[in-house]
Amino acid sequence: MSKRKVKETHMPVGECISQVQMILRERFCHQRLPEKPVGMESQHKHLLELLRRTAVHGESNSVLIVGPRGSGKTMLLNCVLRELLEVKDVNKNVLPVHLNGLLQTDDRIALKEITRQLNLENVVGDKVFGSFAENLAFLLEALKKGDRSSSRPVLFILDEFDLFAHHKNQTLLYNLLDVSQSAQAPVAVIGLTCRLDVLELLEKRVKSRFSHRQIHLLSSLSFIQYLDNVRSQLSLPQDFPDTKFYDEWNDSIKTLCEDQSVVDVLQRHYNSSKDFRSLHLLLMLALSRVSASKPAIKPTDLLEASRVCMVDSKANILHGLSILELCLIIAMKHLNDIYEGEPFNFQMVHNEFKKFLQRKSHSIHNFDKPVVMKAFEHLQQLELIKSMDSSTAKIQKEYQLMKLLLDHSQIMEALQKYPQCPTDVKQWAMSAFG
Amino acid sequence: MFVGLLLSRYLNMSVEGQEAVTTVTPGQYILIEGNDDEYPFVAKLLKFFGDESHKQKKALVQWFLRLSEVPQNKKLLLGRSPHPQEIFYYLGRACDNEINAESILGTVHVRQDNSPPGTKDTLYVKLSWDTKAFNVLDPVLMQDTPASTPPKPALPLFPPCASPTATPVSRGPVRRALPTPDPTVMRRAGSVSDTRATMSAGKRSTLEISANDLLLCLSQEWATLMGVGATKESELIMMDCSCLFPVGSRSYFIYLDVIFVVLLTCLPVLRLHVSSVPESLPCREQEFQDIYNFVESKVMDGTGGCMYISGVPGTGKTATIHEVIRCLQHASDMDEIPTFRFIEINGMKMTDPHQAYVQILQKLTDQKVTADHAAALLEKRFSNPAPKKETTVLLVDELDLLWTRKQNVMYNLFDWPTRRHARLVVLTIANTMDLPERIMINRVASRLGLTRMSFQPYSFKQLQQIITSRLNKVKAFEEDALQLVSRKVAALSGDARRCLDICRRATEICEHSASHPSSTGLVRMSHVMEALDEMFSSSYITAIGCASLQEQLFLRAVIAEFRRLGLEEATFQQVFVQHRALSRVEGLQPISVSEGLAVCQRLGACRLLLLEASRLDMLQRVRLNVSQDDVLYALKAVRD
Repeated sequence: MSKRKVKETHMPVGECISQVQMILRERFCHQRLPEKPVGMESQHKHLLELLRRTAVHGESNSVLIVGPRGSGKTMLLNCVLRELLEVKDVNKNVLPVHLNGLLQTDDRIALKEITRQLNLENVVGDKVFGSFAENLAFLLEALKKGDRSSSRPVLFILDEFDLFAHHKNQTLLYNLLDVSQSAQAPVAVIGLTCRLDVLELLEKRVKSRFSHRQIHLLSSLSFIQYLDNVRSQLSLPQDFPDTKFYDEWNDSIKTLCEDQSVVDVLQRHYNSSKDFRSLHLLLMLALSRVSASKPAIKPTDLLEASRVCMVDSKANILHGLSILELCLIIAMKHLNDIYEGEPFNFQMVHNEFKKFLQRKSHSIHNFDKPVVMKAFEHLQQLELIKSMDSSTAKIQKEYQLMKLLLDHSQIMEALQKYPQCPTDVKQWAMSAFG
Repeated sequence: MFVGLLLSRYLNMSVEGQEAVTTVTPGQYILIEGNDDEYPFVAKLLKFFGDESHKQKKALVQWFLRLSEVPQNKKLLLGRSPHPQEIFYYLGRACDNEINAESILGTVHVRQDNSPPGTKDTLYVKLSWDTKAFNVLDPVLMQDTPASTPPKPALPLFPPCASPTATPVSRGPVRRALPTPDPTVMRRAGSVSDTRATMSAGKRSTLEISANDLLLCLSQEWATLMGVGATKESELIMMDCSCLFPVGSRSYFIYLDVIFVVLLTCLPVLRLHVSSVPESLPCREQEFQDIYNFVESKVMDGTGGCMYISGVPGTGKTATIHEVIRCLQHASDMDEIPTFRFIEINGMKMTDPHQAYVQILQKLTDQKVTADHAAALLEKRFSNPAPKKETTVLLVDELDLLWTRKQNVMYNLFDWPTRRHARLVVLTIANTMDLPERIMINRVASRLGLTRMSFQPYSFKQLQQIITSRLNKVKAFEEDALQLVSRKVAALSGDARRCLDICRRATEICEHSASHPSSTGLVRMSHVMEALDEMFSSSYITAIGCASLQEQLFLRAVIAEFRRLGLEEATFQQVFVQHRALSRVEGLQPISVSEGLAVCQRLGACRLLLLEASRLDMLQRVRLNVSQDDVLYALKAVRD
């Protein structure tokens, strides 16, 4: 029985594929932390050391992790926390408090959330009792009673730190940082932000209490490293149950990454942004095209995925417009050319359109003004044009000033791809002056 | 003769209650109107007299205290929970033992025995309270007619009882002869720890320490040492060791020595943490002296006053006041000045300026009430001539946060000290020197008065001294390194916190590189430079260097468009045209508008660019948040 099991290491292809899908999706959707954060070893060491001082020795600290979006700030922090919580004593003692500037939009909510997560005495079930003032006084009192040796260290993790700086008087930040600078319960205040100028947001007395430790996560990844990363991200882990499939898959990934067209696509993505979140999106799209009948990622999959990623969002909308709406857009383009980007109103567009009908058109109907107006309004709803006046109520619809939210190149591209576009419309669009 | 006649006339006097007229006679126990309607003050009536103008009837009393009137931090000294009807004989002298006869509410029965009384109206007394400890009450003191008993020489602590026959002309608490601070007190206050340190240092050389003793002490006390932490480690250890060894014995000094050696060698990082409270505050001696004199004189005179202290953050304002209060408390423990209460509120630590009332009242009386009610109670407390009042020292940190449109919180805080019976000293702290002129209306600024003080930012010499004194003669820094830190911080802000943070970081960096065999273990210039770089260097240039190719191209396009327009502002649409042209020059495939917008948004999120709201789409205006030169410099560095 056991012998048979050892022999039968290969599973049906369908099952292998579903396994692969599961493993890679977990990776791409950030549900599983990587073993080690890549390319940020020194930052990892610094942060770990700092938090260990708080967790083990009870030394209060404050630190900011700064880096552009998708550079791995949260990932780094979570890796460090995971490592920290592996130590047994620490696991029992440390109280992490997670706050997010997008969720805790003012100090009142933030304070309730802290109290709830710390499970202080005024929490019953999930409810926090007491007014804002009482909660603040209570929390400060609780933290003040503590000291280095006897109280449990608290890690305050403030995601979107810059948003906390917009709270009234920065009360929460002042108090947290004040605790971190005085002999009270040991705390570590860890802020995560993508703003490089975050310190300028802090009020001077808040700033004075911040330790000015900043960990910058700026990836200086070269394209070779980027490519390696793609390969390792797509490769299966060693403990994959089916060894045969494991070998096949990893070989196919290797050849995939050497394909010139794939390298070109990846280079384009690398040029656009170095963060892994957009890369994961691309790989995810490619992965979803893998099935039991096609058990490997082919270069075409990646090219298709890249095309989907890179597509212009407005091009799709333009393809769905009616001929009349397209004509109006062309009229607006001409107005833009004539008046050098000055705003226009419906009457001007209508005039331009009528001129086109009289002079050049053979295929377009002579639409009534209300019909054209309707088309114009539809364009406004699609936000292809935008009203320039703030008070729309006073001015008649026909005379409201509008601006076109499209680039010339977008319009021309859409015309090329538009199915069965009348030639005279195309010519009108190309001509220099309407 | 005339006085004697008056006295005999006032000897018996009736109190008009709501229902009936009660007569009180000297020797009876009486209730006196206080802050709390439910628990009035209790006292024993000694005699009646009239004041100098013969208009008011006054009474001389011996006070009794309820436990609720004992200061919060001393309540634990009782060691048990008190009976609700228990009162304590008051042996202190800080309280005014003269009261207005009108404030007498009625009589009460007081017994002295060990069993709590059965009936609700009867109080009982068992212990006395002399502002420092509870003692078993001497029955002699409780005899019914103290006025007739001749004063006992054994009880010199009790002046009102000791001079019952004298005409009561002395008003107010017993005043010390010198209202100015005693120079010896000042010296002691400033250098308590210094003497201690030098003592132990001096002894070190004369004592030979056997290795055995050392090991023993180390193993025994290492745990306590680490536990005690950085705050007041030396003090607590001093306390510990005096328990363990007889003070002055040989082993005591050896112990001291070991502790100091341990402290000096192992804890530079802990000592550099901002939270660790130093033994003394160097470079603030003058300010310390001024504040000390101010508060001490007010406490001794039993008057009130305001003081405004300003200074940029991290110049030791709050720390100095805490130090002053600590020394004053020490002095009052030594019976050199009357006892006083210290209350601290912080404008940043409350959610609304009116919460100040709530917090003050809560710290004074332990009551929890709403802001309006608290304001009323405090108003009553500070304006009524309540007897038995000790001076309150109120520290208001971050005063500017207490600003309201009507400024009533500030007005009240500064008005109360001017009341005759308030006995309130208000010390206020804020960052700006001209706060009274800038935000206060005239009547508030006028009440704040002109007692001002400003804390100058630390100069580099002072910062150097602060670090050295913190390190307590440990050689952890090279001279140059120390100088670099202090000069740098002095040039930037003069903020001591910043200075200590940099030193702490430099020590950490030094520790990490300590594995090098060449390192001396001292923090060197290179370590300090690294720490300074980490904390102060602008990250914009590195960020531009690390940005993706398209992002860098976009920044170039922004600059190109600015140059073309001659303005420091352009719409995305305009920049995008440039971006497209630049990509062609660079031989890159031009990106779509959506991608371009994404690139722009990413730069905006880092605040390399300043953007308008994204709903404006292509029309949003773009500005640089970095100087053009910086961008060009960074981009040039990338290319080379």
